[in-house]
Amino acid sequence: MNDYILLVPILLPFFSAFPIYIVGRRSKRTRDILAETAGCAEFAACAILLALALGGNELTLAIPNVCGRGIYLKLDCFRAIYALIAALMWMMTTLFSREYLAHYRNRNRYYLFTLLTCGATVGVLLSNDLFTTFIFFEIMSFTSYVMVVQDEKPGAMRAGETYIAVAVIGGMVMLMGLLLLENRLGTLYFDELHTEATTMADVSELYLPGALILFGFGAKAGMFPLHIWLPKAHPVAPAPASALLSGILTKTGVFGIIVLTSGVFLHDALWGNIILALGVVTMVLGAVLAVFSVDLKRTLACSSMSQIGFILIGIGVQALLGHHNTLALWGTGLHMVNHSMLKLVLFMCAGVVYMNLHKLDLNDIRGWGRNKPFLNFCFLMGTLGITGVPLWNGYVSKTLLHESIVEYIALAPSPGIYRAVEWLFLISGGLTAAYMAKLYIAIFVEKPVKPFEEPKKWYIGTKSALAIGIPALCLPVMGMFPSPLMEGIARHMQGFMDWESPDAAVKWFSLTNLRGAAVSLTIGAAVYFLVVRTLLMRRDEKGVKYYVNRWPTRLDLEEILYRPLIQRLLPFLGALVCRVLDNLTDWTVALLNNTVLRRKPIPPSSDADFEPGDFTPQIKRSYTLQRISGSISYSLLLFGAGFCAAMVYLIIILISK
Amino acid sequence: MDIDYILLIPALLPFAAALTMNAKPLKSTGPRRFFLVSVLVLELIFTAVSAFAVRGTVTLFALDESLSVSFRIDGLGRIFSLLVAVMWLLSGLFSQEYMAHEENTGRYYVFLLLSQGALMLLTYAANYLTMYLGFEFMTLLSAPLALHTQTDAARRGGFKYLFYSVFGACLGLFGFFVLHTYGLSTVFTPGGVLDPARTVGHEGLITAAAFLSVIGFGAKAGMFPLHAWLPAAHPEAPAGASALLSGVITKAGVLSVIRVVYYQFGADFLRGTWAQYTWLALTLITVFLGSMLAYKEKLFKKRLAYSTVSQVSYILFGLALLEPTAFTGAVLHVVVHSAIKNCLFFTAGAVILKTGKKDVRELRGIGKEMPITMWCFTLCSLGLVGIPPLGGFVSKWYLAQGSLASGIPIFSWLGPVTLLVSALLTAGYLFPITVSAFLPGSNFDYSAVQRREPTRWITVPLLILTALTLITGLFPGIITSVASTVAGTLC
Repeated sequence: MNDYILLVPILLPFFSAFPIYIVGRRSKRTRDILAETAGCAEFAACAILLALALGGNELTLAIPNVCGRGIYLKLDCFRAIYALIAALMWMMTTLFSREYLAHYRNRNRYYLFTLLTCGATVGVLLSNDLFTTFIFFEIMSFTSYVMVVQDEKPGAMRAGETYIAVAVIGGMVMLMGLLLLENRLGTLYFDELHTEATTMADVSELYLPGALILFGFGAKAGMFPLHIWLPKAHPVAPAPASALLSGILTKTGVFGIIVLTSGVFLHDALWGNIILALGVVTMVLGAVLAVFSVDLKRTLACSSMSQIGFILIGIGVQALLGHHNTLALWGTGLHMVNHSMLKLVLFMCAGVVYMNLHKLDLNDIRGWGRNKPFLNFCFLMGTLGITGVPLWNGYVSKTLLHESIVEYIALAPSPGIYRAVEWLFLISGGLTAAYMAKLYIAIFVEKPVKPFEEPKKWYIGTKSALAIGIPALCLPVMGMFPSPLMEGIARHMQGFMDWESPDAAVKWFSLTNLRGAAVSLTIGAAVYFLVVRTLLMRRDEKGVKYYVNRWPTRLDLEEILYRPLIQRLLPFLGALVCRVLDNLTDWTVALLNNTVLRRKPIPPSSDADFEPGDFTPQIKRSYTLQRISGSISYSLLLFGAGFCAAMVYLIIILISK
Repeated sequence: MDIDYILLIPALLPFAAALTMNAKPLKSTGPRRFFLVSVLVLELIFTAVSAFAVRGTVTLFALDESLSVSFRIDGLGRIFSLLVAVMWLLSGLFSQEYMAHEENTGRYYVFLLLSQGALMLLTYAANYLTMYLGFEFMTLLSAPLALHTQTDAARRGGFKYLFYSVFGACLGLFGFFVLHTYGLSTVFTPGGVLDPARTVGHEGLITAAAFLSVIGFGAKAGMFPLHAWLPAAHPEAPAGASALLSGVITKAGVLSVIRVVYYQFGADFLRGTWAQYTWLALTLITVFLGSMLAYKEKLFKKRLAYSTVSQVSYILFGLALLEPTAFTGAVLHVVVHSAIKNCLFFTAGAVILKTGKKDVRELRGIGKEMPITMWCFTLCSLGLVGIPPLGGFVSKWYLAQGSLASGIPIFSWLGPVTLLVSALLTAGYLFPITVSAFLPGSNFDYSAVQRREPTRWITVPLLILTALTLITGLFPGIITSVASTVAGTLC
């Protein structure tokens, strides 16, 4: 019975959501306090779970028959750590929301759906059966939609449309994959996936279900080519929601991909290469888009996409490396953790800018951060962390990922390709540095072009400051003590699935590792000065430089391909066929009515010469004939008869030959 | 007196009540409301009692040795009869407010009760003849509901309904003649009644008869090619009746198909024949066609009617697979879809009643005016799409799983794919309504919002149906345990 404690962090938000909504209709203040309490309680619950997991308890919970197949949950260190991070993010964003959302409409709705999303997300992370994962995953997709469209502006509605469309399509495709997988493996239970998959006679039968499931999880993770919702949804969502979307919702997709990779496709090279390829494209594309972007939150969103690419590379390499994949595993897990923390800080910093100025364009917010040391500090921590500067947390995980690629180059049959991957990795790291430098310099270094029209006083409240400051402080601390902190986290996380122990201790700050970071940073500096400051800026008539987005607006996968296809072409074709089928029976009936079954009496003629009861047979015949031969159905009949005759003739000729 | 005769009470009570409905004391609103609601409640109670107490067969009268009108309750009868009683009660409650300003309400209630009686006959039927009787009664007695408003469209729709249903029943009658000749009896027997000695050499004829019966009874369930009456007739009825036509009466077609296929011809006889494959193809065409046209439809109630075309064919698809898991899913979907579609038609009715808006494009911001109604709509539409943990998800899972397990070439994977494409379209035709209802946009004029929530006569049925959707989603075992036992004896 003890295991029912696993339900607490899932049900707590679910059941607190509705009372909070109802209370909120009466008193905004009480609602805010309750929401914050719920956030903190959730964090406490997850902390207790982590303590339990660290104490060596492996809790599993099976509630059979719920939703048909039953709900299966499990607690191990990986899940506990990630649930704790999720809860941390929810607590911090809730603390921040109060100030950020102060002038929004429909805040009750926001709190309601945030809490529902929170419960579902923790549910995904604790699930131990793909069916359970799917249930929580779908709930999460739908409830988070409302967070995206919170302000209901046309842009937000459109982005929300994209978001929900990707989520629904992804969900359905994934469901198909799950059905196939269950049909072929006979189980969806995490612990059995691997054993069942190895006993399969023909492993290639698993690639189709695997690809379909990957589609669903990849859509949520923001993997190419399903990344389209990320750069659209993040800028329009309220900042706390963006932080959650980017920091934790995308990670649920990654979680699913990890389950697939280390369960069904453990050490499968083909699978690893597919994930690696998708990861590389996502990583590079995201970074390039981020460099071009001139919108603060859009840049961060593209950056999220790019960082997910880094994580996917880690997953791909871990499948390729087989049994010696510890570095890749650690890198993957730690980069997930790091990215969550980093995006929490960065998006909330962006939120501070937006709630004061209501603008996000770099040209409009330029220089606003000068003389604001606190914001400057927090954003700088995030920047240094995500860029991978030594002594900050991003460096640790990026180094591990880089090391694992290098490790595979030595083993790979065709090292050239993987060497290219390594370089793309380093270049993307450089691009990360470039776009973060672009943001930082624009906001905190450059002078404002024209004075801001803001009320002078207000900047940030204490509670929001704490919500941003605490996670921001964690970043360098995590980076400075990699061995006790990061390695500890990694070691505990590796219990998830068949993760294995390392071959040797990792030297975090060895020369080779530092060199990778140095290469990236050099590339970053070069890109910043040679591309961003020159090509991506233009002078106006007064000679002041301003940022321009040179990315062609037409070049957008969603506008070129997805929307025309899904909104126009397919419905048009489908409806065309369906309309014909729909009317088929009616048309048949009408045809019969007007030909064989002609029931309608012939209307009396207006001809003055004709009088009923006083006619000769000749007149009658000619009248009827005239009526019949003039009708469309008669023509059709004759046409049909002629057509049949022609067909018969053709057939006879064919047969006789 | 045998306890089994208690079965006659729910079967005949609605007829008796309908005949007294036009008595003088019941002409005014108050007494009539009291009478109607108490009849419906009593009906529910007796249905529940007979569902659990009755074990044997009750013969009302016999035409000759082989033909009799007799009743019995089995697992399916239990589920369907309870479904009918519950839905009729909810619709009766709903109609109290909805019909308040309509004319000829007396006639409406009379035919409401009469069609319930016909449905009860059909669900309790122990043999083909009784079922056929119930089926024809149901067609004739429910047509006045579709014709109720007497507008041109309603008359067109109503007559189309009659034409299609009678034509379908004729096809069913053909099946009856064939069964009477080649079967041992026409009593419903799990596994079928065909006499192996007599069928030899006539397999072609019998298969064709089975196929035609399926098409014929499938007409009631809105299966292509005899589906066209449904989007014409359902939207024209008053909302309370359209809910029943769509939510329950289509299921009578489903039950008839089950009886004919699984209890008369037998699943084994049809498995692997051209009839099964053609039937599968027809159901899949209907699934896609219904949701595609619903996606394109702009009238609220007509959209829901097209949605019914699609959803009921999910059930028929499950039946056509002749596979136990799919059968279980189909029976579960009967209940789920019934609850959901009733709820959706009730919301459409409530919106029309309170605002007069019939077009889905006019519903912007309606969620701010009728929050409870639209919340129910939202949850039920999520269920219809098949979003866990709501009703539709589990039934679709069973259907798709059964389809894959059946191993029928092509259809085993084409089925789930079609179901999922249709689910996407379902999302496409239901979510925009919810979105524009609750998220009217930042330029929405909140000052014009006024409270238009209907009274409890409408909101309580809505809440009950929504709760039902949630419960069947979370604990489908209530129904699947019965259904899978039945399926075990049939497939």
